[in-house]
Amino acid sequence: MKVVYTDVLVIGGGLAGLRMAIAAKRRGHDAVILSLVPPKRSHSKAAQGGMQASLGNVIKGQGDNEDVHFEDTVRGSDWGADQAVVRMFVNTAPKAVRELAAWGVPWSRVRRGDRTVIINGQKVTITERDEAHGLMAQRDFGGTKKWRTCYVSDGTGHAMLQAVGDQAIGSGIPVHERAEALALIHDGGRCYGAVVRDLIDGELTAYVAKATAIATGGAGRLYRVTTNAVICEGIGHALALESGAAALGNMEAVQFHPTGIFPAGILVTEGCRGDGGLLKDVDGHRFMPDYEPEKKELASRDVVSRRMEEHIRKGKGVGSRFGDHLWLDITLLGEKHIKTNLREVFEICHHFLGIDPTKDLVAVRPAQHYTMGGVRTKPTGESPTLKGLFAAGEAACWDMHGFNRLGGNSVAETVVAGMIVGEFIADFCDDPGNEFNLPTGLVREFVEREQAKLDALVASRGTEDASALKARMQEIMTAKVGIFRTGRDLEEAVAELQQLLARSRNIGLRTPSPGPNPELVTAYRVQKMLKLALTVAYGALTRTESRGAHFREDHPRRDDAQWLKRTLATWRDGASLPELNYEPLDIAKMELPPGWRGYGAKDYVDHPDTPRRQAEVDALKTQYAGDRFALQRALLPYDDLLPARLRGRNERIDEPFGGTGRAA
Amino acid sequence: MSMFRPTATHKVIPLVPADGAQPGNGGRIRVHAMRYNPRDPGNAPRLQTYELEQAEGMTLFIALSEIREKQDPSLQFDFVCRAGICGSCAMVINGRPGLACRTLTKAVGPDITLLPLPGFELIGDLSVNTGKWMRAMSERLEAWVHMKEAELDLTRIEARMEPELAEQIYELDRCIECGCCVAGCGTVRMREAFVGAVGLNKIARFRLDPRDTRDDDDFYELVGDDDGVFGCMSLLGCHDVCPKQLPLATQIAFVRRKMAAVGFR
Amino acid sequence: MDTSSSIVTGAGLADAVRKSRLPARLDVVQSATGLVLALFMWGHMFFVSSILLGKDAMWTITKMFEGYFIFGRAYPGIVSVVVAVIVLLLVVHAALAVRKFPINYRQLRTYRGHMKLMRHEDTTLWYWQFVTGFALFFLAAPHLFQMLTQPGLIGPYESSDRVWSYHWWPLYLLLLFAVEVHGGVGLYRLAVKWGWFAGSNPDATRRRLKALKWALTVFFLALGLATLAAYIRIGIEHADRVGERYVPASVQPGAVK
Repeated sequence: MKVVYTDVLVIGGGLAGLRMAIAAKRRGHDAVILSLVPPKRSHSKAAQGGMQASLGNVIKGQGDNEDVHFEDTVRGSDWGADQAVVRMFVNTAPKAVRELAAWGVPWSRVRRGDRTVIINGQKVTITERDEAHGLMAQRDFGGTKKWRTCYVSDGTGHAMLQAVGDQAIGSGIPVHERAEALALIHDGGRCYGAVVRDLIDGELTAYVAKATAIATGGAGRLYRVTTNAVICEGIGHALALESGAAALGNMEAVQFHPTGIFPAGILVTEGCRGDGGLLKDVDGHRFMPDYEPEKKELASRDVVSRRMEEHIRKGKGVGSRFGDHLWLDITLLGEKHIKTNLREVFEICHHFLGIDPTKDLVAVRPAQHYTMGGVRTKPTGESPTLKGLFAAGEAACWDMHGFNRLGGNSVAETVVAGMIVGEFIADFCDDPGNEFNLPTGLVREFVEREQAKLDALVASRGTEDASALKARMQEIMTAKVGIFRTGRDLEEAVAELQQLLARSRNIGLRTPSPGPNPELVTAYRVQKMLKLALTVAYGALTRTESRGAHFREDHPRRDDAQWLKRTLATWRDGASLPELNYEPLDIAKMELPPGWRGYGAKDYVDHPDTPRRQAEVDALKTQYAGDRFALQRALLPYDDLLPARLRGRNERIDEPFGGTGRAA
Repeated sequence: MSMFRPTATHKVIPLVPADGAQPGNGGRIRVHAMRYNPRDPGNAPRLQTYELEQAEGMTLFIALSEIREKQDPSLQFDFVCRAGICGSCAMVINGRPGLACRTLTKAVGPDITLLPLPGFELIGDLSVNTGKWMRAMSERLEAWVHMKEAELDLTRIEARMEPELAEQIYELDRCIECGCCVAGCGTVRMREAFVGAVGLNKIARFRLDPRDTRDDDDFYELVGDDDGVFGCMSLLGCHDVCPKQLPLATQIAFVRRKMAAVGFR
Repeated sequence: MDTSSSIVTGAGLADAVRKSRLPARLDVVQSATGLVLALFMWGHMFFVSSILLGKDAMWTITKMFEGYFIFGRAYPGIVSVVVAVIVLLLVVHAALAVRKFPINYRQLRTYRGHMKLMRHEDTTLWYWQFVTGFALFFLAAPHLFQMLTQPGLIGPYESSDRVWSYHWWPLYLLLLFAVEVHGGVGLYRLAVKWGWFAGSNPDATRRRLKALKWALTVFFLALGLATLAAYIRIGIEHADRVGERYVPASVQPGAVK
């Protein structure tokens, strides 16, 4: 039996995983990263439009700060987020973006003087301040009050991944590429590492680590139409779920991005609309102002996606042989802007649609985009129920996105959570109380169990085809667990997914070879994915309200009285459904009590505690008027939740520190 | 009440089809793919032909996925983003290195020959280990920003940079490490130790970056020899096959001039 | 213990502290010698082709290089000196360029396989540059040696006799093609290698340079073939008087010693 020992095992080589490993390594702990693919090919790369951080450099971002970012994020989450975690996030995001600037990310910069931008379909001239010249620029994104999204043309995730990946190499962190974790090694209360399969030769190795961190990204490939990369199959989620000890939070919260290109589902960035692009229907009519007079195209993604589908249902879609779609019009932005700031969009349209977006309209329709749910963790990133297991990024639910995440908050979360959780992992490894004496028999037991499963699949004379099961699952998820959900559809989905799960135990391979066999990979993954799909569908069926991206046509209102709580799913070995429990969100501790989001549906069922908390909040606002920091401390203290070296205010042009700071 | 509660008379419209894969009347195409498992001693490289119906908007990603799902589940290849941004799927398409995911079958068919990218360790069939090569290249060229020692004060306003400089750096930072330039380079094919365009472009990129404290003497240590920039024979296969249209020709020339100047100091 | 640089180099530690500056210099020297040689060959072709303007024109050019119009008499030794310089440049250029050649059959086979698969013009042109460069080792040597040792035997009749009656024309024919292909491709490659004339649109510049390269190659090949034909024609006409030296009618017999 091959065993690799390390201090920290990071599963997943995207931004969150890399950043956690760097943090641990810089604190003196050895880290090994497992990655299905070379890290720079991770799906973090696909984040195009940008990263939210309240720097307030551009004139349209003036006045931005952590408080505004906090409110935007909580409203975006439809009050599903953990507000303390959101506070940790918004305070660290400016530090993260500035760290990345020092690491070499070529952030687009502010140029002083006049420039012409498109706002609400009109050309507007804005004037950037002299003192902002050369600082990081921000663009507009959906669901935000200020221009807050820092960007690198429209290759933000790419540039970030290059810089962070390069720093990981510079730090000498080994990445074991083409390696896939099959199971966590644990005893029900403590995680000791993972059983790992080499995808080149098929061999199993046990990785034993003091701390194990899941950073495997999302589970978009549960759906047929998704912007996600083909590796985003939720395997990290499934590792935690199959442990039986760790829980998944809010898996029914699935985001659909308004502008997947039609029909391939490839993403074109929200930056298209942030920079002034418009959504149009079959008549060339700009329809979003009809539905969302306040934020128009730039309401949150869940709202825009629903409005688009609703408009198509009204018969206003553009017919095509693949079905209906709508148009994204960025021609008004001009060729220079598109070829500089929306360059990837230009290339994607050119290669996949054969059109020139500087002249032609882009066919779009919402597509699955983001998994808000994930491995439930404490604000430290550690599972509350499986010691030594951490998670960060899209795979985690610590929980800053609630039921809908804002554009630009995801790629920001990867590095912010990587920084924060990475520090906590280092703390965890520093603590002598977390050393363990591991019986090798336990490791052997887990390796042998996984080997036996693989051997059984290879030897199976089963009649089921893994690809066909997967395709059917994706079809069900897209058709019945999509943007609009009903109890009846969800019941049918759950029932059929259960059948598929049963059938997946009878998979037979056409090419029964144990080595680098793509069919074998599909076979063992689809067994995991079906459990995850059931967790999503069953959670959606059970949650009889609409919140954020989870929209029930038969329960269209947000119901704080019944459902202001987080879904926690666990899976018992051999079960055919997850076990669901609910964790209430405490309104008494909310800095921003539930209310209207400022866009989308205006009606919701209030929680009985909301008015009381609102009165408390209002009183504190009066008491601390003029000192936003004191007010914030009184509303929701969070500073002690952050690692010591990440605390502290953030300097801005309009909030200078003075003193002997580094020349800006 | 919700303003947009859907009316009961509307049937649920299915969402968009998967990645455009719909049977179309685009005719038959034949994909001739290299099959070879280097770990199987009794096995010799051969071309295997798969015939399939061409669909509207079909890319090689869709075609190969369909072949694996319906005809041959053992065929090895790599895709990740399938949107032309991650660099996983580079292979030799009708003789030229390119990204399979964004190659439309109708542009290269009806007979399409696919070979694994040469110059890299072959994993099997069309799958090669570009990641291992790129990591070694990054370590050899120390391809990361070498910062000043003092720890950053992350609470402070960031250092300024001219907007034009940021754009110039991004222009070179767009490399996706797909390996096409290496496979397209006759020099590196002959001499495996040659650094290749991807590495020289990185030197150009870090040289441009004011956050990197290294100077030309430092870069000369990395590429100032015949395995480095002076080994380049200016065949420009790299430039002509780069799927991101990076300005490799001018950047390599630029690095060459700067490194040559070091030699005469 | 001897710590001289040769010992350090012998132990494989030449680059241990600081990388040698030599590769940079050699790279520049290779390019510089190539540039000078290519430009020389253009000039050479123009001078040789003066025969197309008539025997007197060619005679005048020849005598000019022998210093006849400066010193009042011809010193063919001047030509020898120039040839010696060219030989030196050629040896240096060849010694440096050979570093780029395939060093074994495996490399050659790999390159040819790559070239056939890629069907990429610049890659294919390099192969021809390599082949012609290799040929030039052998083709240029006899010509240069003769020019070095018998510089006086250049002239309308002298050269024509050599081409025809002494059967040098096959060598010159091959040499013409080898030089023009090698030099033309070489000059183009120098421009892209060092980024000369790149301008604001380097890709367009490269297309223009490539077109110019082809045009020049065709031009010089045509000029060369016409010139060679002229020497052959004169050689045939002069075959019965082999060894007779040309003296223009305008020059008094006996004036040239």
